[in-house]
Amino acid sequence: MNQTAQPNDPYFIDFPDRIWKIQLEMARQSIDVYLGSRLRTLSWTTDAFFPWRSFIVIPREGLPTAFTFVIDAARAADDSWLDEDHVYGFAPMGGQDQIEQIADFIKDILPEGRGRIGVESGMSNYLPEGWLTHYEYQQYAAALDGCELVNAHTIIDRLALIKDEGTINRFREASRIVDMGHQAVYEAIRDGGYKGMTETEIAGIAGLAMRRAGSEWEWSFTGGNEIASGYRTGLAGGACTPASRRVIQAGEPLMVDIHAMFKLALGDHSHNYLIGPSTERQRWHAGNFVDIVKKTLEAYRAGITPSLLAEQMMGFAEDLGFADHMVPGFEHGIGMVGDEWRIGLNDGPFPYWTNPDHVYQENELVICAMQYACPEDAIGFRYENPILIHANHCEPLSQYPLGVEEI
Amino acid sequence: MMETLTYLSEEWRDEAEKRLTTELPPERMNFVTSSMSNIYKNCPDGTDKFLFFRFDEGRFEELLVGEGVPPKAEFAITGDYDVFAQITRGELGAQKALMTLKLKLKGNMVKALKLASLADRLNKVLAKIPAEY
Repeated sequence: MNQTAQPNDPYFIDFPDRIWKIQLEMARQSIDVYLGSRLRTLSWTTDAFFPWRSFIVIPREGLPTAFTFVIDAARAADDSWLDEDHVYGFAPMGGQDQIEQIADFIKDILPEGRGRIGVESGMSNYLPEGWLTHYEYQQYAAALDGCELVNAHTIIDRLALIKDEGTINRFREASRIVDMGHQAVYEAIRDGGYKGMTETEIAGIAGLAMRRAGSEWEWSFTGGNEIASGYRTGLAGGACTPASRRVIQAGEPLMVDIHAMFKLALGDHSHNYLIGPSTERQRWHAGNFVDIVKKTLEAYRAGITPSLLAEQMMGFAEDLGFADHMVPGFEHGIGMVGDEWRIGLNDGPFPYWTNPDHVYQENELVICAMQYACPEDAIGFRYENPILIHANHCEPLSQYPLGVEEI
Repeated sequence: MMETLTYLSEEWRDEAEKRLTTELPPERMNFVTSSMSNIYKNCPDGTDKFLFFRFDEGRFEELLVGEGVPPKAEFAITGDYDVFAQITRGELGAQKALMTLKLKLKGNMVKALKLASLADRLNKVLAKIPAEY
């Protein structure tokens, strides 16, 4: 069983209370059973990592039950606050496949096998989101004859938006671990240590340091630790650079974007270098980047919106003559593993994208994210840092000193 | 030589209980506490029957044969009478029957996996009863 189940633990999360709040909202919406399938929903309700296709069934009253591939169910139960009677395994055996097993389980909960079932249907540009597939929807609809399937993911999205103390503490620890990864990379590349090193090797150095410090996984689906060197740092709009076998060269920029996971909370911080000798033009780019990161961090607070912040920051970049090098977006969402992309609720002009007019509230967490790229000069920089929104400021959780260091 | 008993008859049940009690002591059953119903569809007499087992800390506590709805059990395995008969005669493996949809299991699969070897032991004891199917 999960080791942070005691209220005096700094990483304690009151999972039964989360379930109770979901059930209150289910009652309000006349939903009898919630069938969750998204990775973020599994993480947020179970406190365990579910790498396989998995589901959670939440009844109107009582404990939820998770369902996953049978080979991993005992491990998931061991990690979760739920006991083994509430984590089932499915397998290709009579009555035990995920459709029949879960449909039977739901029918046993419902009076006369009938009721309203909340499901998670939508879209995302984040691949591991876990929406119910068309096939699954059809199969459950057939197996649950007499039930009405309704889209209900907003129940979880709304409840998960504001982070509780235990979640925030877990994120703080994940960021502390990431900072140790950055320190290890710096120690490795300084004084000519970078010579002959590849991007993948740097990713591994950071990974080892973070694992030693307690990270469970370099969680990002974008290739774990993202490293870019030389022209790869400046790919247009290129805010995704899985480490390649490219060898680090003198006179080039180096971007180190590393990820740690601590109790399903996610560390995600980028730090940038110029491998000497550097040119004045490179330093000009670096100065622009540091200036706009500082400006952005000063702007984040409760009440501001993504569109307002982008407008202010792009105006600042325009005034200083580097707007052409900025990607006009300054954030992405973050939560327990599986919740990485959209900010806030699905209430914007483009379905399932961040609402540009989302108003940040206290104790929201967001990744402050910026990409500066000048392909012509083969240079770019990235900033990512989980920030906690406060009433009048934001708190960057990674505390590694901001700057573009010359090596 | 023992006379041949009719599978799932009261005489067969009595013999099964005697053998399970003597041949599967608690330590052979890993001191397990569980219950299981085999639900036989399409029996030769046209009825549906069940065979219900209950163990408490490895002690064999209950073996019931009946018609209709069985007592509530931790696991329920449903299939045609012929399929169960093939398994008992050693002509078909229980796992293969499950993987080819000839049997359906209801209950926690993870726990069922832990009990799979015990179910095999139990089936081996029952298979030795001279029976007419």
